[in-house]
Amino acid sequence: MTEAIKIKVTDLSFSYRDRPILKNVNVDFAENSITALTGPSGVGKSTFLMTLNRLWENLPDADMTGTVEIKLQGRFRNVYAPTMSVTELRKMVAMVFQAPNPLPMSIRKNIAFPLKLAGEGNREFMAHKVEHALRMANLWDEVKGRLNDDARTLSGGQQQRLCIARALVLEPEVLLLDEPTSSLDQTSIAVIEELLLGLKDRLTILLVSHYLEQVSRISDTIVTFDDNTIIS
Amino acid sequence: MKKIGELVAERTFLLSALASSSITVAILAFMVFMGLPLMKQAGFYQLLVKPWAPYQGSFGIYPMIVGTGCISFLSLVVAFPLSLGCSFLIATIAPKPVSKGLRRLIELMTGIPTVIYGFVGIFLLVPYIRELFRSGSGLCVLTAALVLGIMITPTMTLFFCDSFDRIPRSYLTAAEALGASRTQKLLYVILPCAKKGMLNGVILALGRAVGDTLVALMLAGNSVRVPGSVLEPARTLTAHIALVIAADYESPEFRSIFACGVVLYLFTMMVTFLVRYLSFAEGRRD
Amino acid sequence: MKTRILENFTVVFAWLAGLVLLSGVSLLLGYLFFKGHASLNLSLIFGDTPPLQALLLKQRVFEGLFPAVAGTFVLVVLSIAWAIPFGIATGIYLAEYAGPRVKRVLDALFDVLSGMPSIVIGLFGFSFAVFLHKHYSDRIGPCLLISSIALSFLVLPYIIRTTQAALEGIPLNIRLTALALGATRLQNIFLVLIPRSVSGIMSGIILAIGRCAEDTAVIMLTGAVASAGLPRSLFSQYEALPFFIYYISSQYADSEELMQGYGASIVLLFLCALLFVTAYGIRKGLSHFVFYRP
Repeated sequence: MTEAIKIKVTDLSFSYRDRPILKNVNVDFAENSITALTGPSGVGKSTFLMTLNRLWENLPDADMTGTVEIKLQGRFRNVYAPTMSVTELRKMVAMVFQAPNPLPMSIRKNIAFPLKLAGEGNREFMAHKVEHALRMANLWDEVKGRLNDDARTLSGGQQQRLCIARALVLEPEVLLLDEPTSSLDQTSIAVIEELLLGLKDRLTILLVSHYLEQVSRISDTIVTFDDNTIIS
Repeated sequence: MKKIGELVAERTFLLSALASSSITVAILAFMVFMGLPLMKQAGFYQLLVKPWAPYQGSFGIYPMIVGTGCISFLSLVVAFPLSLGCSFLIATIAPKPVSKGLRRLIELMTGIPTVIYGFVGIFLLVPYIRELFRSGSGLCVLTAALVLGIMITPTMTLFFCDSFDRIPRSYLTAAEALGASRTQKLLYVILPCAKKGMLNGVILALGRAVGDTLVALMLAGNSVRVPGSVLEPARTLTAHIALVIAADYESPEFRSIFACGVVLYLFTMMVTFLVRYLSFAEGRRD
Repeated sequence: MKTRILENFTVVFAWLAGLVLLSGVSLLLGYLFFKGHASLNLSLIFGDTPPLQALLLKQRVFEGLFPAVAGTFVLVVLSIAWAIPFGIATGIYLAEYAGPRVKRVLDALFDVLSGMPSIVIGLFGFSFAVFLHKHYSDRIGPCLLISSIALSFLVLPYIIRTTQAALEGIPLNIRLTALALGATRLQNIFLVLIPRSVSGIMSGIILAIGRCAEDTAVIMLTGAVASAGLPRSLFSQYEALPFFIYYISSQYADSEELMQGYGASIVLLFLCALLFVTAYGIRKGLSHFVFYRP
């Protein structure tokens, strides 16, 4: 393959409550592509995603060894280096979860939330960003009239696109998705798949999925997990 | 800049946790420190087994320990069957709306101020007991235990209900699927599973009964002799503290209330650790 | 056949127990209202003084409960004011920062504190006041300040526990949401976790208020007296409703004073019931208010 490498994972092992979840994982991911992570449940695919943005550090009794390097702002950086700020990392490596998790606030506030976390105070700029992110997530036309409604009043598919928009608002370089469509109906799934394909030229997408059809429809590369490591 | 904020916040939280938890230690330290002169002079163990006879120079708190024991134990005898029955009603026996209402009501009862139990006890129950048994003033162990028993029943009932609620739903479904009636489900599934949790409830209620001041102070008569029967007056450790507090700060009488304080403290600690141990054992079994 | 009898007996026993408890409590309340309802009017609180004058502190109330009500009010406000910052901060520490070993030790200490008889805490407050009196200043004795601090020790575990439980009850996926968006630990706590826990924390605070309002053992040792008028300063003695009720029950001079005791009991009962109902009501749905500032 000719594409540039975006993420390099070396000798990654992970254990939870002294039980090994991942053993000696070595894998690279290409820039501006969609990589699907598949395999039976319970082999550590979701955990693997969390090692890329260090979110596992919030789980109790978890332990990890190995290195993860991601090309951020043009140069490779070890995400576990002491100089790496966790919050900065998570702003550049965004994540969307299996179940849509809108916060109990309005649609507008949900999308603006990461900006607020980053200390942004300019209202006009935030409004612009919110619209931009919602457009990227193909949600703008559906919600533009009711941005002040509670985000939890949206349908499941809309909620998940809201979460994707929220993840996109800080313009991350990598987007991690953990079975983002598993709780949705067919129509919503199709909308989200199309959305992901459209995002590919802006960022690098890693997608955990159980649906082989989905995997073959949208992914450029497939990585299969089994027995706590990668087999292909 | 942000990092510093995080650190300051974490330190603030840590400091307030340390400050709050040091209260527990400080209370014991203070009790021991204040009571030490008397305990040294008379011996802590001697204080526990000697009678209270200030004119003979004996400041033992034995009668108060016996008084506390009698009143608390009797109040448990009153409260246990009542709580058991009420928790049965709430758990399965009463129809849904009744059980819900009853639970709310019992929750509300835990909020009735102690002093009101004592106040009504004096004017309602005391004359009645005096008439009924035609002995003494009506201020006695029995009166205090009856009122205290009614007072701790709501707490105990709620503890029982909580331990019923913790039983896995699947056990109940299994029993229902086998055709168990509501009473059968209660007797053969819920009760055996909840035994340990209920023991916790009884111990915690005992802790409340021992720690209560006002009911005993107002209703038990406060005599410093060891009660010979339930119709005789008695004084509890808590009431003793409240009654002697006005004495001269340096006197042995005053010092003796810190011995009561230490005994109550140690008892509280025992109750707490017993309950913690039991819930830990229960948690591990699941 | 034998089991049948047991089952039937259980049913009868349960209904009987429920009946006894209910009749016991309704007897208690019924007696109180039957005897005391006649005293329920404005002069119970304000005596012969015009209410407005009393509330504006222009005239002193001699015959009524006003000083006791005001004393209880000030006492509750002070105690809660001491307990809230420490309680919430400690709850946050336990739920979000403490390691398992530290947590076990602190949990045990707070369990002991929450089971502590209030008279022991009162005794602690009293001896602390005596200690200060001897070593620092003659002016310090049992007073409003000492009472409120001792009471705050009494209710601290309530606030710590409800804060901790509310925070720990938040599911992992919500915990991770903001973190995945780049929130710092502190931002996550204050922007996501605390707002979601507000109703739990509030109900803890209200229960603590109820406990402060009804407790008698602590205040009778730390500065409550039968007649002091309105509380004048932090270092003065004061009157309080529950202490007044206790005092009347043993020292009443005539039937008029006794009637006041009944009246005070009803007032205190209503106050506590109100706080209790509020605490239960608030547990649902209060968290919405926090996010919906327009």
